[in-house]
Order: sequence, then structure tokens, then C-alpha cells
Amino acid sequence: MITVEDLVVHHGSATALNGVSLTVRHGELVALVGPNGAGKSTLVDTLSGVLRPTSGRVHIEGSLAHVPEGRQLFADLTVEDNLRLGAWRSRELDPTHVYEVLPALHDLRHRRAGSLSGGQQQMVAVGRALMARPDVIAVDELSLGLAPIVVDDLIRHLIALNGERGTAVLLIEQNARLAFEVCSRAYVLEAGEVAAEGDCAELAQSSKVARAYLGGSVDAP
Amino acid sequence: MSATTRTVVDSAEQEVTVPPPRRSWPRRLLLAVLVVGTLALPLALDSGELAVFVQVALSACVVVGISLLMGYAGQVSLGQAVFYGVGGYTAALLSMYGAPTLVGLLAAPLVAATIAVLLGLPLLRLRGHHLAFATIAVHMMFLVLVTQSDLLGGSTGLQGIPLLSVADREISTNLGHAYLAWAVLALVVIIALNTVRSRPGRALRALAGSETAAASSGIPVGRYKLTVFALSAAFAGAAGGVYAFYIGFLSPGMFPVTMSITYVVMAVVGGLGSVWGAVAGTALVTVGVHFLTLWGTAEGMPDYAPSVFSYAVYGIALVVTVLFLPHGVVPALRRLRFRRARSCEGKVKRGCSPGSRR
Amino acid sequence: MIEFFTHVLSGVAVGCGFALVGSGLVAVYRVTGVVNFAQGMFAVVGGLCASTFLAAGLWHGVAELSAVAVAGAVGALTWALALGKPGTSAMNALIVTLAVGFLGYAVLVSVFGDTPRSSTGLAGMTSVFGVPVRTHHLLVIGVTAVVFILLWLFLTRTYLGKALTACATNPYAARVIGIPVARMALFAFVLGGILGGLAGVLLIPLRPMSFNSDVSLIVHGFAAAILGGLTRPMVALAGGVMLGVVESLVAGYANPAYQTMVALMVMLVVMVWHAARRPTLHQEVTV
Repeated sequence: MITVEDLVVHHGSATALNGVSLTVRHGELVALVGPNGAGKSTLVDTLSGVLRPTSGRVHIEGSLAHVPEGRQLFADLTVEDNLRLGAWRSRELDPTHVYEVLPALHDLRHRRAGSLSGGQQQMVAVGRALMARPDVIAVDELSLGLAPIVVDDLIRHLIALNGERGTAVLLIEQNARLAFEVCSRAYVLEAGEVAAEGDCAELAQSSKVARAYLGGSVDAP
Repeated sequence: MSATTRTVVDSAEQEVTVPPPRRSWPRRLLLAVLVVGTLALPLALDSGELAVFVQVALSACVVVGISLLMGYAGQVSLGQAVFYGVGGYTAALLSMYGAPTLVGLLAAPLVAATIAVLLGLPLLRLRGHHLAFATIAVHMMFLVLVTQSDLLGGSTGLQGIPLLSVADREISTNLGHAYLAWAVLALVVIIALNTVRSRPGRALRALAGSETAAASSGIPVGRYKLTVFALSAAFAGAAGGVYAFYIGFLSPGMFPVTMSITYVVMAVVGGLGSVWGAVAGTALVTVGVHFLTLWGTAEGMPDYAPSVFSYAVYGIALVVTVLFLPHGVVPALRRLRFRRARSCEGKVKRGCSPGSRR
Repeated sequence: MIEFFTHVLSGVAVGCGFALVGSGLVAVYRVTGVVNFAQGMFAVVGGLCASTFLAAGLWHGVAELSAVAVAGAVGALTWALALGKPGTSAMNALIVTLAVGFLGYAVLVSVFGDTPRSSTGLAGMTSVFGVPVRTHHLLVIGVTAVVFILLWLFLTRTYLGKALTACATNPYAARVIGIPVARMALFAFVLGGILGGLAGVLLIPLRPMSFNSDVSLIVHGFAAAILGGLTRPMVALAGGVMLGVVESLVAGYANPAYQTMVALMVMLVVMVWHAARRPTLHQEVTV
């Protein structure tokens, strides 16, 4: 689905990613965790074509949609307009199929996106990404600034989407505990490099990862 | 640009355009050659070329000011010719009403600087394109006011401005005016270099980088901006004063809005924030325009050719510089030499044009 | 009283021209963050082309539309120079548009010479509620009204218009969902060229134009648009009309020499007032 090989990306003279390799297979749920500034968002921005890599290879089979960090809605436009713009690439402007997955958006469709709550905005952002009927969706910091109950709801929608339509999910999270609960595989990104990768369960057992990202509780006797 | 050194956000580190080795002997020799060359050059020029020689010095005074204003204070002024005009009218008016001509010349920069302070107090709150348009507006208002003023001769202007006399000797020849203009430019360059190297100068460099950062580190941003604005106006005013005595008459038609913009072209070409760059940029553009205009007046050329050529020079010089030498000609040359001497690209990379800022 | 209304109507007509120039600035600024200094030149290109095409015997309508098309093409060229190189900052792009202004001078002088030109426009007078009006004034007002309605419908009702708004409100998000921001910027510049060209075509019968009429046009357009923070075309319309009327009254009842002072003062006061209220206003420039 997604194949990234030896990716190097610079921000000006600073190296944001230094030789990152990563794969996401069909229908897989993969987590990408790591501290602030590790290069997680840079990686997704490169996947969606916002940033250009200095070297390395990005191959995406099918289509990828990107839910950017901080929702990044078009605040002055209505929810429905936001959704329809999400279909820029596919030009399939009817949002009905998104309303089927996220029925709450149907009731909000005439509201101005900027007037919605954080959770509602995040849902619009996910919906906008789904408009293009992506084969893989990369969600950047879904949980940031949202109440746990709202996050749980959104995650349920993503899991359902993955189950029903086989959409692969790349979940970029600072909240590693959440990401490990949802996903089967994970990559740990530190200072622009992959510090660890593997099954979430195995990673959670590794004392280093656990201490750094899961508050060390797994390790405790 | 393969260097991975992070740019040091320290105002002193960014002074690319200030020559780092101060008193090395090749530098002294170069300066001496330049001074002697400049003094000797007018003796070899014909009258047409001498006029260009004077024009370079006068424009360079204005352009040094713009370069400081844009490169150090991060402010764009598209109305700098106003201060040139104010200086000219001040010198002309005072000497026509009986004041000693030297007093007129000395008053020119003072009046220009005072007006700059009065204008700067409200206007320097603006930045970017707001300030650009505000200064154009000031220029257009200046033209309307001068045209409507009987004192300043309206649209016909002031005729019969006396010659400047220094110590009972009148400066009447083109050669005399050439030395006068270059003496004023020398003074302007010395003041500008001292300003750049002073503590406030270094603070100003930081200001061009980020005003917020400068303000939060306790630099009195507003006062420094106003000071540079007044200084740049004084430079332009002094040049305008010399111009009035040199040319002998003034009218609003001699200060079109495009004149202000051509100064910006020269400053950008030379490299914003670089004093020597300002002089070089002015010389390069002015001389280039002169030769193309000469070619344009050659036989067989249509009568609009000279103006077409000069506009084309300004346009092309500006586009090429901004797109391909974003730091200007002089800093680009200096960088080339620098890079050969030692590879410290990390520091040099951080430039001085407003475009290199984020 | 009749004289007063005549002044007002002719002011509205000229103000419509300012508004078209201003809305061209808005179209480009919203999408790119660049204040296009060559916007006034687009109007001059439109005006001079129209007058030349008409003089060459082209039909009314065809001549004007071709002139507008040329202005649109000049808009595309301006885009290529100002933003064609990736990574050009908004301030550098402004400086490049200054250069484009000079290049425009060079081309305009060599094509059209440096003497002012005019064209006849719609001849004759019409009476509106007993007020005699030049028919061309009514034409200018009518065309401007139609153009602004179309512009409004385009921006708020069409997919492409909304995509342009999207680029304006959140360029990063626009990129994320795959809107080609560079191509949209090109589109905005062409739109700016067309709006500017229209202004020139409509204004040239009212005030003769030469290559350097652009400074006055761009300053009036900017003054009209700055009232709406350079982002609202409808405010630019109101601003332009207001400037036109006030200037027409100043010229009619006071001294014509001071009429441009109105626009200049309005512009300065609005900007200083904005800056005093919102000190961070400038930040949008640096993008």
C-alpha cells in the first residue's frame, strides 16, 4: 500500500527525516509514534505531497488521504463545502457515502466549519479525507486536544471503516498507549529516524519503548 | 547548500554584509585605489559622462539610505524621492531668499529628516505592502502639494537657484559639482558604515530578521526604525540639496513616482543592507541605463527607444536580481570569495534581503 | 441640485473602475498573499489595447473583449515572473511585480508610444430621473454591477470559486487535499488581469490613458480594497464607488487638483487605524 524507502527530508538546512523506511499493507492499521519534533508530521506531509523529499522513495499504491494535524478545515466554508473540496482529486462531489459512515456530519452539513466544536471539526476533517474514497488514510494527531470520549468515538469510526471497506489506516499519535491499543503494528520515530518497529504487543513489552511512551507501567512488577 | 549547521539566530552572526576583517592591508589598498580612482575619474570624462558621474553619487546617497531602511529596519519605502525633493526645495528656497547657500545645503538634510520623523511616527507602524503603498501615497501627496504651492513655484517650479559658494568660492563647473556630490556621498557612506557597526546597528540587523524577537529582547524597535528612517531621509535630503545647486532649477515633474521606485531597484540590485552594495548597485544601474539610452538615441532608433531601454533595464535588473541573486550583487560576490576562503556557508546562508526572512 | 447628481453619477462610474482594479488586487491577494503592483498596468493594457483595436476598425464588443483577453494574458505572464519560481516570498513577489510594472512601461511605450490615448465609448447623453448623464457612465455602472454579481456567484456558488477561497483561508489544507495551489494562483492572476483589463476598457473613454496612468489606478484600487483588508471584493466595490463619488464632488465643487488627495488620505487613515487596532496586521504579508 505505502512503501517508503530511505526517505530524507529537509526543512531548510535542518534535517527532518534522515533515512526513514516504512510500509503499510492492505487493510492494515499501523501506528506511528514518537515525541514532538521527531518528524512524524513531516513524514505524512511528504506522503501526501505537501513536502518534497530530498532523497529516498515514496510509493503509494492506490490513493492516500491525509487528515492533517489540527484539523485544518476551511473555517469560512460550510461543512458540506469542506467535504466536497476533499473530493478535488476524485471529483466525486456527492458526500452521501461519507454521511453513511459519519451520520453526524449530515446534521451539521450547513454549519460553518469554523463554528463547530473540536470533536466535530475533527470528524469533518476525517470526512473530508474520506470523500476521495482513499485506499489508505493517514490521520495526524487525531486525539490532540479532544476529550477521551470524543476520541473513542472517532477511533470506533476508523476501525469500522477499516473493517467494512478495508481502508488501511496510518495513525500518527503522540498518545502511544491509544495507538498501540488500536493498531497491530507500530513504528517509533525519534529525531528523524526509526528507533523501533514491530508488533504493537511486542513493542509494548520492550522496556525502552514502554518507559518512553507508555509511562513505564508495563515494565513494573 | 549542503551544510547542515543550524543557523545561529544571533544578530551579530548575521552581519554577512559587514566586512568581517576590518583593517587588513588588501582592504586598505582596495579602499585607497577606489578613492584615488574616484578622484581621478572625472578628469577623464566628457561632459555627458560627468553628468552621469554626478548622478551616480547623488542617487547613491538616497540608495544607501534605502538599503539601510530595507536591509536593517526591514521597511520598504517607495517614496524616498520625496526627501530628495524636500532637500532640493529647502536648499533652493533658503538660498533664493537670501540665506547663505551653505546654510541652505546644511538645512536640506535637517528639514528632510524632520519631515521623515513627522511622517514616520504614524506610518512606521505599518509594514510590508501597507508601508509600501503608504509611502507611494506620501509621494503622490508631495507632488500635489508642490504643484499647488505658490511659494514653491507650482508646476513651473523654481528657476534661478544660485550657485553654491563655499568659503567665498562659487562651485560653478560640472567638475566642482562632481567632487561636491562625491564628497557628500563619502560622508553618507562613513555615517552609514558607522551606524551599521554600532551597537544599535547590530540591534537593527536583528530587527530586520524578526521584529518580535527584537522587541522581546528589549530593543526599542520603534525608536530605531524611526532613527533609520530619519537618517535615510537626511541622506536623500543632502543629495537633493546638492542637486538643486547643480541643476539650477526645480519642478515637481523632476520627481516622478517612478523615481522612488528606481532607487529601490538600485538598492535591491546592490544588495539590501550592504552600504557598498548600495553604491555599486546605483553605479551599475545608472551606468547601464546611461549606455543603453545613448544607444537608444543613436541614428535609426525610434524616438521612444531611450525611455523604453531605461524602463527595460530597471525591470530586467530587478527581476534577475530578486529571482537569481536574492541577496544582491555585492553580497553575492562577497559570498563567492568567502566560500573560497573558508567554507562557513552555515553563517553566510542567512541573508539580508527581506525575501530571505520568514 | 441637478449638477450635484451629475457629479455623483460620474463619480460612481469612475469609482466602478477603481473597484474593478481593487477587486483584481483582492483576487490575487486572497489566494497568494501577494499585493500585485502590476494590477494598475493591467488596466492600462486593457484601455490602450481597446482604443487601438477600435482605431484599427475592430467592432465594438470584439475590440473590448480582445483587450480584456490581452490583459488576462498579461496577468498570466506576471504570475510566471512573480510566483513561477517556487519558494518566492510574498514580499519578493511584490518587488517582482514592481519590476513587471517597469517591463510593462517598456512594452507599452514601444507599442503605443508615450502620448495619452482615449476612445469614444458609448456616445450621447441619457436622462435618469431628469438628471442628464453620459450614456457611457451608465454602461460602466451596468457592466460593473454585472461583473460583481458574477464574481460573487463564482466565489460563493461554484466549486472552483470555493477552491479559490479554500486556498485563501488555508493554503496548507488546500495542498493536503490536493488542490494545485500554484495553478490556482495562476488562475487568480488571470482573473486579476481580466478585472483590471475591464477597468481599463471602461475607463479609457472617461479619462485618457498613457503608459504611466497605472500608478494612479493602482493607488485608487488599493485604497478601495484596503477598506476590506484586501480580501473582500464587495467591500472593494463599495470603497471604489465611495472614492469615485467623493473625488468627483471635490473636483466639481473645490479644486480638481486635490481630488486624488481624497483616495490617498483615506488609504493612509484606514491603514494606520487598522495597524493601531490590530498591531499584527502585517503578519499576513510574510506568510
